[in-house]
Amino acid sequence: MIGAILLTLALQAQAPSAPPARAAVPDRAALLARAGEAVQQGNRAEAKRLLEIAGRDRQSVRALLQLAHLQLEDRETAAAMQTLVKARQLAPNSEDVLSAIAELSLAGRAAVPAILTLESMTRLYPDEARYSYLLGVALMGAGDLPAAIDALRKANTLQPGQRLTLLALGLAYNNQKLFTDAYPTLRKALDLDPDSVETIAALSEAEAGTGDLNAAERDAARAIARAPQNATANLVLGMVRLAQQRYPEARDVLLIAAQADPASPKPEYQLSLVYARLGDQASSDRHRQQYQEKLRAMEASLAALHPATRTPGK
Amino acid sequence: MTRLILTIAAAALVFIQPAAPELLFRDIAAQAGITFRHHAAPEKKYIVESMSGGVAMFDYDNDGRPDLYFVDSLTVDTATDPSAARSALYRNLGNDRFEDVTDKSGLGHPGWGMGVCTADVDGDGWEDVYVTALGGSRLYHNNHNGTFTDITASAGVGIPGWSAGCGFADYDHDGRLDLFVSRYVKIDLAHLPEFGKDKTCEYRGIAVQCGPRGLPGESDFLFHNDGNGHFTDVSEKAGVSDPRGYFGLGVAWFDPNGDGWPDLYVANDSTPNFLYLNQKNGTFQESAFPWGVAVSEDGAEQGSMGVAVGDYDHSGRLSLFVTNFSEEYNDLYHNDVDHFTDMSFRSKTAAISLPFVGWGDAFVDYDNDTWPDIFVVNGHVYPQLDRVRMGASAGYRQRRLLYHNRGDGTFDEVAARYGTILTDEHVSRGIAVGDIDDDGRVDIAINDLDGAPQLLHNEIATRGNWLLVALKGSSPNTGAIGAEITVTTPSGKQTSVVQSGTGYISQDDKRQHFGLGTAPEADVSVKWPDGTVTTQSAVKANQVVTIKQSK
Repeated sequence: MIGAILLTLALQAQAPSAPPARAAVPDRAALLARAGEAVQQGNRAEAKRLLEIAGRDRQSVRALLQLAHLQLEDRETAAAMQTLVKARQLAPNSEDVLSAIAELSLAGRAAVPAILTLESMTRLYPDEARYSYLLGVALMGAGDLPAAIDALRKANTLQPGQRLTLLALGLAYNNQKLFTDAYPTLRKALDLDPDSVETIAALSEAEAGTGDLNAAERDAARAIARAPQNATANLVLGMVRLAQQRYPEARDVLLIAAQADPASPKPEYQLSLVYARLGDQASSDRHRQQYQEKLRAMEASLAALHPATRTPGK
Repeated sequence: MTRLILTIAAAALVFIQPAAPELLFRDIAAQAGITFRHHAAPEKKYIVESMSGGVAMFDYDNDGRPDLYFVDSLTVDTATDPSAARSALYRNLGNDRFEDVTDKSGLGHPGWGMGVCTADVDGDGWEDVYVTALGGSRLYHNNHNGTFTDITASAGVGIPGWSAGCGFADYDHDGRLDLFVSRYVKIDLAHLPEFGKDKTCEYRGIAVQCGPRGLPGESDFLFHNDGNGHFTDVSEKAGVSDPRGYFGLGVAWFDPNGDGWPDLYVANDSTPNFLYLNQKNGTFQESAFPWGVAVSEDGAEQGSMGVAVGDYDHSGRLSLFVTNFSEEYNDLYHNDVDHFTDMSFRSKTAAISLPFVGWGDAFVDYDNDTWPDIFVVNGHVYPQLDRVRMGASAGYRQRRLLYHNRGDGTFDEVAARYGTILTDEHVSRGIAVGDIDDDGRVDIAINDLDGAPQLLHNEIATRGNWLLVALKGSSPNTGAIGAEITVTTPSGKQTSVVQSGTGYISQDDKRQHFGLGTAPEADVSVKWPDGTVTTQSAVKANQVVTIKQSK
């Protein structure tokens, strides 16, 4: 019922009555046409000026979207977001506007606005797989893995066989330690893109999680052969080497993993274990300290995203 | 012709009807006369209403039969009325019957009860009882006549605040049993954290009780037994006081490095766990991180609750099984002499545990095939959970887990194989395991947060031979707490340890059960807490064998 009401409101909002035009300002179509010509002539500043006028004085959502696009191309990210916010004020439920805000937020790693926007979009356009996928990605960025899995599963149901959706879902499963779900998902993703290093690395993590250390070792090595600095593959291989009690080799690959993903506490924790096994207590303590500092930093960054992440109390 | 058709139809029915599940456990609590009910507020708006309680299986009257003690708790609404909670002691009458002897015993009202551990603290040959609680733990001395006397004050072991886990061990080899007590969260009942008030009081976007994260933790205590009826607080001196106030719950004394001195493992909720290695000079070195038992395999701090210790792979070394919060996994840490290895996923115990909040746990060889299996009870802390999307978590009430040991380092989760007795959902907390009727099959008492406990009577038909080993230590450690028993059969060696304080803030029967498979006899070796060894060869199977320590 609420969904139907929202949809009705959305349809109403998408058809605003046009305000009376001011005589001194050219009409929308003319402004857009002139802006297009300016872009073709390489005069981007003039194009932006015209589009801004069209947005401000003619309430043209299309103009604002084009303006945001130009601003993004010129790496004016903050200005682009401001433009899109104006566009959203004019057309709160416009698919194009919401989509642009979400994608811009995701690109800028602004998880909260991305999530809020995409949650609206998945309600407004429940059959659009792309928005569920983007929502899943945004929720992963915010650390809300259960919600991310829900969204990505929905995306996969709406449009099966999408490589990126399968990879994201596999990564989310891995993060939740649902390795038996991750494994077949990532296998499918790999079938669709056999050369994807990220997929091979994620698959190796799932294989390690399901206890198949031989497969994990093989696929982690395969990923490293293609991308020697891959953080996931080096972490997995380090954990395999640790389990095999090949401590010097474990140390070497874990150091690469730590360097490749300097914000992650995981390789630091493994390094603390490896150095303890090697009898180097000082190094073990140092990496344990780094592990704990990075863990706290990660928790703080996730906590800052509240309430969008629905941080568990436990 | 008609008869033929009926015969065929009847024969067909035999094939159509699903085979009845194999009988393993039957809940005999009600028929055994156990009427205890654990009290809890329905909404659990405060964390103090979610964590109780423990259960003890111990022989308080020295008649050779393990008795049962269930710990009850108050609620915020009944906090000022200690009589609102009634913990209960049940005397084992034999023939699977129990008698409520609470009123006579004096163990009925320890206050806002949490956990329990038992030991003969004064060497008189009778087991005494320590009850952890919110607002003051208690030590009850066994008077040898079915009654107990509260000696908390004179013994000096009363702890303010919220105590949770406990366990006795002779950490300094002076022969006397010392006491460790973990504490959980610092709570002021007059100023309770408001339900749902901030981000640490939310779960999946709904208001829930606050904590433990966001609330201050409590330090822990180690009391040295002075031998004159008094204990001395040596927590700081020994290095086990937990000045950072991690959220302490389950406690396990055992000797993972095999140096003959008891070490200590503490399960901490939402914070790293502790492994205190005994330095043999009255102090301990906290070593959980380098030993690999502080956090999960990938370095996540988990919400740890219960701790079980067992030799699941016949290595002769005691490994650890730790229960954790939902969307975390239960840890199986394999003992590799100078460190542990997280074998949880490789052993196939982890994945299935992810939806559940685990509490009481134990290694139990339920089918006597010589390989210790693992039993776990579960149940969430948020009743509100059933009203929201749960993600990967199960609901508020949760099923049990029974991991059957395959003997190759891996386990199969087989609860559903035995009907609904283990898949029915409960909100369980402490468990105590032991053989209540000496039939060689391990039984399990379970204390649920909400309502009636269960007494799971093991009635498995197909089982191996067994031994139940009861130890009589020299005074003052008459219960031989800390002794390690090794049983050898053609299929290998099994090692077990006598512990005070087991699982989730509970107490297993101190008699050690061993499945012998097809072996008609076994060699039994006891390494006593003082390092001396007693060996008995070719002990006949299927009996309770009592071994006394030489003077």
